[in-house]
Amino acid sequence: MAEKKSVIVRVRRQAGPNERPHWEEFELASRPHMNVIICLRDIAERPITRDGKATSPITYDSNCLEEVCGSCAMVINGKARMACSALVDSLTQPIRIEPMTKFPVVRDLSVDRGVMFENLKRMRAWVPIDGTHNLGEGPRMSPDTQAKAYPLSRCITCGMCLEVCPQVNDNNQFIGAAIISQVRLFNLHPTGAMHARERLEAVMGPGGVADCANAQNCVQICPKQIPLTESIAEVNRQSIKQALLGWLFG
Amino acid sequence: MSAAGVRADHSFFWRKLHSFSGIFPVGAFLAEHFWSNSYALVSVAKYNEASRELQTIPWRIFVEAGAIWLPILYHGGYGVYVWWKGKSNVSQYPWVGNWMYLLQRWSGLIAFVFIGWHVYTERFLTQGKSTFADVDKALANPWYFGFYLLGIVAASFHLGSGLWNFLCKWGLAATSRSQRAAGYLGAVVAVVFSVVGVAIALSIRYHWRPFEFYVQ
Ligand code: FES
Repeated sequence: MAEKKSVIVRVRRQAGPNERPHWEEFELASRPHMNVIICLRDIAERPITRDGKATSPITYDSNCLEEVCGSCAMVINGKARMACSALVDSLTQPIRIEPMTKFPVVRDLSVDRGVMFENLKRMRAWVPIDGTHNLGEGPRMSPDTQAKAYPLSRCITCGMCLEVCPQVNDNNQFIGAAIISQVRLFNLHPTGAMHARERLEAVMGPGGVADCANAQNCVQICPKQIPLTESIAEVNRQSIKQALLGWLFG
Repeated sequence: MSAAGVRADHSFFWRKLHSFSGIFPVGAFLAEHFWSNSYALVSVAKYNEASRELQTIPWRIFVEAGAIWLPILYHGGYGVYVWWKGKSNVSQYPWVGNWMYLLQRWSGLIAFVFIGWHVYTERFLTQGKSTFADVDKALANPWYFGFYLLGIVAASFHLGSGLWNFLCKWGLAATSRSQRAAGYLGAVVAVVFSVVGVAIALSIRYHWRPFEFYVQ
């Protein structure tokens, strides 16, 4: 009865962006309510593989440990997950941990999601209010709009919607659901709406909303339950309107 | 075209046109085609009459080329390009929408190949004067008959699922409720088109004419 349970973890490691990946296996002492980040921490404390070889601690990103910062997304047992909320008890062993595949690997499980930030900038996903003089108060946001905007504002840019999207790959520059949803969020904002047209022009550009092929994987994986497919359809509606009527009525 | 430099390509236009062309004129033509061919369920004379009617419309070659062949070529050709731009991952993420994504590509390819062969045999080999006897002869071959059934079901599925895609991609179904409704609409369209199409193929092959009493 008193046997000590252990957790077997296999990690796909890579020393640098251009190094060859390889797998290392670890055996850890099981503790109650363990999650994948805890496993990685335990390995860092005692970086010895299952067959007794000394190795380096595993590089990974994490911060909040409560699924709000978005940094710890990885592929766990073949599926994109937030590592901090992936409970060991709910995973089949050996637990396979890999970096996300749609972003360049920095080292081990840490990936560079910079492309998402670049695309947010390209889509003007902010409310520009900086200037040389005080612009005064902006228009008020109706409770109805607040209720629509709040779920969209919960995006943590974890990148899992890109990871699971069949349209995000080497053949395609598709910006992905998270970014499109931010276009909707800032077009919804009463002050942000003053620049709605610029965002729509950008989102109709290369890799934009038209590259969505409606597999709807994004909405299934989103850890924040953001209605991403609604956002995409809404941005589609706005951009179709802009494309069809923009040249007629400006 | 405003804000030059931002819109560095025209893929938005081509992509939306691709989605639209699948409904109109390609989907609309499929509806017309199934409608006209349903005369096989009435009688051979009615079928030949309906065929002759269509074969003798004014400006026929222009209508065929502009409203049928070019749109299908564009829709199929661009569809292959769209397929190449995606990488299915259904084994990793086997959700319904992801399956539909994969099936949409395969059904489109099957339908495209079938349509190419179908137009070649029934439009060009017959010099545009195909009659019931020609189709009857083709369907007597079990392989051809099987290919017809496959092509009909693939095209019907592709249209139904494509209608759902179209409604999402043009932002006409922009809430999850309306997207679900659009999904049901697509499913109904796929089933109705499959049933009607298969009934036509069965009717021609087995000389089964459930509506023959209309003319008796
Ligand atoms: S560590 Fe912040 S989301 Fe997992």
